[in-house]
Amino acid sequence: MRVLLAEDEKAMSAALVAVLKHEGYEVDAVYDGKAAVEQASKNAYDAMVFDIMMPIMDGITALKEIRAAGSRTPVILLTAKAEVEDRIDGLDAGADDYLAKPFAMGELLARLRSLIRRNQTDSASLTLGSVTLDVEHQELSAKSSIRLASKETQLLQLLMANAGKPVTTETIAERVWHGEEADDSVVWLYISYLREKLAAVGGNLAIAGSEGGSFQLAVAS
Amino acid sequence: MDIYGEYREALEQVMEHLAEAIRRVSEEAEKRTGSGLYEHLIYRIKGDESMREKCRKKGLPETAQSALVAVRDAIGLRVVCRFVDDVYAVAEALKALPGVNVAEEKDYIRDVKPNGYRSYHLILSVEAPFADVRGENPGHFYAEVQLRTIAMDSWAALEHEMMYKHDAPNRKLLTAELKRCADELASCDVSMQTIRNMIRGEGGI
Repeated sequence: MRVLLAEDEKAMSAALVAVLKHEGYEVDAVYDGKAAVEQASKNAYDAMVFDIMMPIMDGITALKEIRAAGSRTPVILLTAKAEVEDRIDGLDAGADDYLAKPFAMGELLARLRSLIRRNQTDSASLTLGSVTLDVEHQELSAKSSIRLASKETQLLQLLMANAGKPVTTETIAERVWHGEEADDSVVWLYISYLREKLAAVGGNLAIAGSEGGSFQLAVAS
Repeated sequence: MDIYGEYREALEQVMEHLAEAIRRVSEEAEKRTGSGLYEHLIYRIKGDESMREKCRKKGLPETAQSALVAVRDAIGLRVVCRFVDDVYAVAEALKALPGVNVAEEKDYIRDVKPNGYRSYHLILSVEAPFADVRGENPGHFYAEVQLRTIAMDSWAALEHEMMYKHDAPNRKLLTAELKRCADELASCDVSMQTIRNMIRGEGGI
């Protein structure tokens, strides 16, 4: 686990580095926002911790640049000011969490673990019945394996996360196709693809439902 | 002398009989649905030298008995279909032919080989009005039929060409990548089948 720390107060930075290393993280420490942007573009991090008030470039501006470059790495902001505006700006800029100074070290560590855990489960593999969906590689497997298209993966991920519950065509269109054009027949076609592909790998999952309605994934009896 | 000896003529007749049956089934489907069951159909009698080599590899004497009974692919047919369902339709039609028994059946489309190979293999025992090597008339002749889609066929051809070189560097990586390609092609096959089902009004499944 590798963490990028941007904190300009040397004593604070040294304390954080010591604690994070003690917890088993590899830590790269920088002391201003510009250096943080540079480091973030060079290395893959599991999480980043940024102070807001820093020289040269502040933490929120650095975060905006990193997000604009496409990074989705979890970021926790540290703020000396307990002002609500700062927290709102920070979260809207793409922060995943914040802590107001002074904070307990134990809480920072717990929040880091929580964010890293969530980020991993988002891209890990899901298993239900005899079927495994490897989200990162878009691979569906049971007796044999098959590669899924991006939308098929997202759709199955949604159905697996809500297994046993009816998911409406509208919810699917919104969650999988976001703002794109997606009418009932597109959703229905992708449901049909998944049904055939679940059968092709010899999986024991079934998707109940018909065109325009709700769909429910369950282990076939 | 030819390893098949006096039985070569019978082998050719049996092969032609099977090919004709496949053509007929496809034509019937075309009348019914507007499209035939296969894209192409190829067949051959295994060459004299390659059959002798196979016998040698298996430690068998180079005789007609070995070539026609111990080895079961003297007659080989390959049916390359457009859609996965067509593969099964042709296979079912072959199994239902009078005088034809299934000696062995391997569905590598459902039970995919670890390297990603997909194909449906049938070894048929065909009864025909000719004396066989056991001295029976009507005799029984083996034929191997491989059925697969265009996508499966092109993968098998390219995989064979690339992996034939046993000392290829990064063999492990290439094997894994070829497996991924096979799984992607299989995914397309299933999607195309789903689309055709929709067009034909057969719904999702």
